[in-house]
Amino acid sequence: MIQIDNVSKHYGAFQVLTDCSTTVNKGEVVVVCGPSGSGKSTLIKTVNGLEPIQAGRIVVDGTQVNDPKTNLSKLRSRVGMVFQHFELFPHLSITENLTLAQVHVLGRGRDEATAKGLALLERVGLKAHAAKQPGQLSGGQQQRVAIARALCMDPIVMLFDEPTSALDPEMVGEVLDVMTELAQEGMTMMCVTHEMGFARRVADRVIFMDAGRIVEDRPKADFFDQPQSERAQQFLARILHH
Amino acid sequence: MAYEFDWSSIPGSLPFLAEGMLVSLEITAVALVVGMVWGTVLALMRLSPVAPLRWFATGYINLFRSVPLVMVLLWFFLIVPQLFTQLFNLSPTTDLRLTSAMVGFALFESAYYAEIIRAGIQSVPKGQLAAATALGLSRLQAMRLVILPQAMRNMVPLLLTQAIVLFQDTSLVYVSALADFFGSAYKVGDRDGRLVEMLLFAGVVYFVLCFALSRLVQALQKPKAQH
Repeated sequence: MIQIDNVSKHYGAFQVLTDCSTTVNKGEVVVVCGPSGSGKSTLIKTVNGLEPIQAGRIVVDGTQVNDPKTNLSKLRSRVGMVFQHFELFPHLSITENLTLAQVHVLGRGRDEATAKGLALLERVGLKAHAAKQPGQLSGGQQQRVAIARALCMDPIVMLFDEPTSALDPEMVGEVLDVMTELAQEGMTMMCVTHEMGFARRVADRVIFMDAGRIVEDRPKADFFDQPQSERAQQFLARILHH
Repeated sequence: MAYEFDWSSIPGSLPFLAEGMLVSLEITAVALVVGMVWGTVLALMRLSPVAPLRWFATGYINLFRSVPLVMVLLWFFLIVPQLFTQLFNLSPTTDLRLTSAMVGFALFESAYYAEIIRAGIQSVPKGQLAAATALGLSRLQAMRLVILPQAMRNMVPLLLTQAIVLFQDTSLVYVSALADFFGSAYKVGDRDGRLVEMLLFAGVVYFVLCFALSRLVQALQKPKAQH
C-alpha cells in the first residue's frame, strides 16, 4: 500500500532523512517511534507529499507521490491524515468541518456529505456536538472529530502524526480507543506515536528512527522483546520506565 | 487686531459640501472594494510558489509603497483620461477626473491592502494549510475556504484603520481640482474670502467622522481581546 524506497531529504545542509526504506502492506498497522528530531514526523509527511523529498521514491497504492505529474490533490483525498494539533477549521462548525472536503474535493452533495459526516461523528461518539464550533470541544474530542473528518473521505490508508502528544493525559485514552477500533476493522495505518502501550496492543510492526535513519523495522514482538540496536534499547528503557 | 471669525458661509453651502462629501465617499468605497479584491490577489501572488507571480506582486507592492500618493494621483490624472478617451472613443471633453482618482486610489491602496492581507494569511497557523491540503483541497481552495476566512477575521481592525486613512487621503484629489469634500470647502472659502473658517470646519468634520470610526474599530477589537 505504501512503499518508501531510499528516501532522503535535507533542508539546506541539514539532513533530515537519510536513505529511508520501508513498506506498509494493506491492513497493516505500523508504528513509527524514536526520539524527537529523529525525522519520524517528516517521514510520515512525505507519504502524502506534504514534505517534498530530494532523493528516493514513494509509491502509495500504485501512484508515485514524488512524480511531478502526479495529481497530489487526488492522491491526498484518499490518504487520511491526523495531526498533532488536530487542525480542525476553527471558523467552521463541526459538521462543516466534516463536509468541507467531501463537497469540494469529492463533489458529494451537501445532504450526502452531512449524512456521512454525522454517521462518522456518531462512530467516534460525538454526534451530540455536531452543531458546535471546534473551540467548544476538549482536545480529545477535537482529535476524534479530526479522525472522523479524515474517515469521511473513505481513505485507503490513515496517517497519524503524534495524534496524542498535544493532549492532556486523561484524554489520550479516548483517542487511542478510536484508533484501536479502526485498526481492528482492518484499516491500513501508519502512526507516529510514543504510546508504546498502543504499539504493543495494535501494531503489526514497529519502525524505530534515529537521526533521520530507520534503525529498526521489525515485527512488534521482536522489537519490544529484543531490540537489536543500542539506540532502541536506550529509548525503550527510558520510555517504558515511566 | 484679532481675526474676526465669520461662519456665515457655511449654512448656505451645505448642499454643495454634501455633494463633495459624496465624491469623497465614492472614491473611498471604490478604492476600498477594488483595493481589497486586487490586494487579496496580490497577496496570494506574493505568497505563491510560482516565482514570476511572486516577483510581479513584490515589484508592484514595492513600487506603489515607495512613491508618494500625490504623485501617483497626478500620473493617473494625466494618463487615464488619454487612455480612456482612446480606448472607449469618448469625446475629449468628457470629465474623467473622478474615474482617474478612483483608478489611482484603487491601484495605490491595493499595495497597502496586499501587505495587510499577506500578514493576515501568515497569522493563520501553518498546520491549517497542511490539514486543508491533506484533505485533497487544492492550494486555491484551501486559501479560499480555510485560510482567507480566518485571515479576514484577524484583519478586520487593520483593514478598517486603513479605510480611515484612505478616507482622509482622498482629500489629495484637490491636485486635480476635483470637488471632493475638502475641495468643495476650499472652493467656498476661496469664493467668500473665508478660507480659515471653511478649512477649520472641514477639519472638524474629518475629525469627527474618523475619530468616531476609529472608536468603532476599538470597540470591535475589545471582545476579541477577552479570549
